[in-house]
Amino acid sequence: MIIGIVGALIGLVAWEIYWRNHNLVPDLDDDDDLWVIHREAVEDATEDDVVIVGSSRVYFDLQLDKWEEETGKRPIQLAIEGTSPLYAFDDLVNNTDFNGTIVVGVTAGLFFSTLFPEAPPNEKVVSRIKYYEDRTYADRLNYNLSIPLQSSFAFISDVSGVDGIKLKALLDEIEVGQRVPDPMPPFHKFSEVDINRNLRMTTRTATDTAFAGTIKKVWLFFNQAGSENVPEKEATTNFFIENVKKFKNRGGEVILVRCPSTGELREHENQVFPRNEFWDPLVEKSDVPAYHFEDYESLRGFDCPEWSHLSAEDADIFTASLVRILVKDGYLSK
Amino acid sequence: MLFNSLGFILFLGLVLFLYYTGILSWTNRKRMLLLASYLFYGLWNPPLVILLWISTIVDWTAGNKLAVEKNSGRRKMWLLLSMFTNLGFLAFFKYGDFLLENFTTGVNALGMTYEPQPMDIILPMGISFYTFQTMSYTIDMYYQRIKPARTFLDFALYVTFFPQLVAGPIVRAKDLISQFYDEKKATANQFMWGSFLLTIGLFQKVVLADTLLSGTADAVFGAGVVLNGLDAWIGTLAFSGQIFFDFAGYSTCAIGIALMLGIILPDNFKYPYAAIGFSDLWSRWHISLSTWLRDYLYIPLGGNKNGITRMYVALILTMLLGGLWHGAAWTFVVWGALHGLYLVVERFLRSKVRLKINPINGIFLALLTYTCVNITWVFFRAREFETARNMISSMFFINNDGVKLLQYFDIFKVMVVVSLLFICHYLMRNSSLKELSLKAPAWLFGVGWAIMLFLIVISQGSGQQFIYFQF
Repeated sequence: MIIGIVGALIGLVAWEIYWRNHNLVPDLDDDDDLWVIHREAVEDATEDDVVIVGSSRVYFDLQLDKWEEETGKRPIQLAIEGTSPLYAFDDLVNNTDFNGTIVVGVTAGLFFSTLFPEAPPNEKVVSRIKYYEDRTYADRLNYNLSIPLQSSFAFISDVSGVDGIKLKALLDEIEVGQRVPDPMPPFHKFSEVDINRNLRMTTRTATDTAFAGTIKKVWLFFNQAGSENVPEKEATTNFFIENVKKFKNRGGEVILVRCPSTGELREHENQVFPRNEFWDPLVEKSDVPAYHFEDYESLRGFDCPEWSHLSAEDADIFTASLVRILVKDGYLSK
Repeated sequence: MLFNSLGFILFLGLVLFLYYTGILSWTNRKRMLLLASYLFYGLWNPPLVILLWISTIVDWTAGNKLAVEKNSGRRKMWLLLSMFTNLGFLAFFKYGDFLLENFTTGVNALGMTYEPQPMDIILPMGISFYTFQTMSYTIDMYYQRIKPARTFLDFALYVTFFPQLVAGPIVRAKDLISQFYDEKKATANQFMWGSFLLTIGLFQKVVLADTLLSGTADAVFGAGVVLNGLDAWIGTLAFSGQIFFDFAGYSTCAIGIALMLGIILPDNFKYPYAAIGFSDLWSRWHISLSTWLRDYLYIPLGGNKNGITRMYVALILTMLLGGLWHGAAWTFVVWGALHGLYLVVERFLRSKVRLKINPINGIFLALLTYTCVNITWVFFRAREFETARNMISSMFFINNDGVKLLQYFDIFKVMVVVSLLFICHYLMRNSSLKELSLKAPAWLFGVGWAIMLFLIVISQGSGQQFIYFQF
């Protein structure tokens, strides 16, 4: 028994040292449990609170520390990478009494894609909402116990894909010939999150152009893979508008935000989701305040290192600028 | 609460601390175990502990009445009360939606339009296990096979004992309640062996089932397309390994944890994939359920005492209900029917052909049994008949142009794990882990333990539920 325990401890210490030597640091997983903690916070939120829903752009680009610095109040961040905000917004409108402000990040390729709950843009949101409803006391206990471990050991990480380091992820990366073609380029993790769900782009992504290039390849792959999908513009817009009306009727405020994108990704978006056909009609039908980065001097001109998100430093500047505009327009107070 | 979770490590640590510090008397230690068991269950869904309480009170009362009641009519009434309560829980919570669905289909087939609201009933974790366990007490009391539990505390702990509460082994009263009468304390060897079994169980679940096999099985059965024959076979083999490691892993953990408390639970698996024939399989797979079905269903149905035809009918009925016990779906019924059919064919062949098993035909017959078992796993794992039909046709190489899904490494990984599983089962079929460990040098035993612990931690199972919790 002693050999077993001591042997396992020696192995784990060596494993930790190995990953730290590969520049891994202890950090939190951006997982379902972290999301539901913040979803739960909405239950106690007041009309002075702000909740953010959307995809990765509002997640990367709206920095909570900076927002709090500008307004004195930290928003609740519920955005999820690679997802549409429709079902998260629907959940806030129909399953809570919240009547504060909801900032909705609009990334056209995701927002207008589909209403099908099991489709990739919605699946993760829907499953997290379900997890929020079904979560047990044991789940809560397990997560609370895991936080100090995640924060102390680099090897404790639930990341999947090419940067995953748990045994399953490591095995999944082994390739012995290719029986079935896999055209998806490697998709590296390029952000880090804290317990407040404040997500920041890693320094490497902002400074290492070759690394940023690997992310760009993934966007190009998604653009190509999604080219056959016809956006469900009417259905998604109507679904959203319906909820906007309900939310406004109970005194809530909705703000639409379109964050910056650049390079070939921006060109693709302009071509497939032209502003005059998607964003403008949405703003008009919603009849809510809307902020497109192109319309404000202080919100444009940023360079997204991988075409889709702002570096941490630029995100701070973007957040401060946006908040100042919102305060000036009377939608936020200091 | 799951064994493969951080919360359980804390929970078990606290239980062992309170159990062994000596501050509590034996009665208070049992009270502590009972409270801990309710906490273990309640952390999943607190209100459903009430079902446990009702089962406990009803069967305790029925058992006490059966111990003194002489009137056969009243005795039958007390037995029926227990059966009605326990089977009623099962019927409502487990089969409610299934019964409604089938009723609706039947009524609509008769031309009447009926669309009821779905009931959306929560399935209480492990309900099939604890209801069968508590029912066995009342049935044994009815047949006067056992004496009543001495105290309510002993009985309540028998129903609720946390290591085996949600996924077995389904323990008989005579094997467990009497262990609670006298003070129990694990010896140093028992404690160490219990810890080792807990490690092996977690290794089976977290590393072998969840890390190495579940991904392939999920990908194949969730593909939604007609697959290539090789992919269908690999997915099915992966599931055969996954379900064994998942369920045997849970049982091994349960036996290990109980042993750490000085309580001995019976074996639930004895190298089932080395079974030669299906009678042998069912004496090795989920032993506590198969003996339960034998004693409380097959034998009361006549067993082999009323001629061959009645025996075949009893076998088929027992396995059909055994299939339905696993899940409220027709695919499980087909799984049970196939096993019933296998048993009937085997009995028939045995009555006609005398065969002496030797190492050469033994391994061939074991492989044949394992192959037939894999056909049944398709119905067990598939959620719909269409998936099962596609899988079976691919496995019989009817779909030559089926879709290729798996990479070479996935195929290699599954083949290595499943081949090792089969070889280990065959080599160990007449032995036990305990015997093997006694022969192994201490350092080798320790190194093996260290490797398993290390792999469990780096696999970091994100607390995936055990498959059998849903049954």
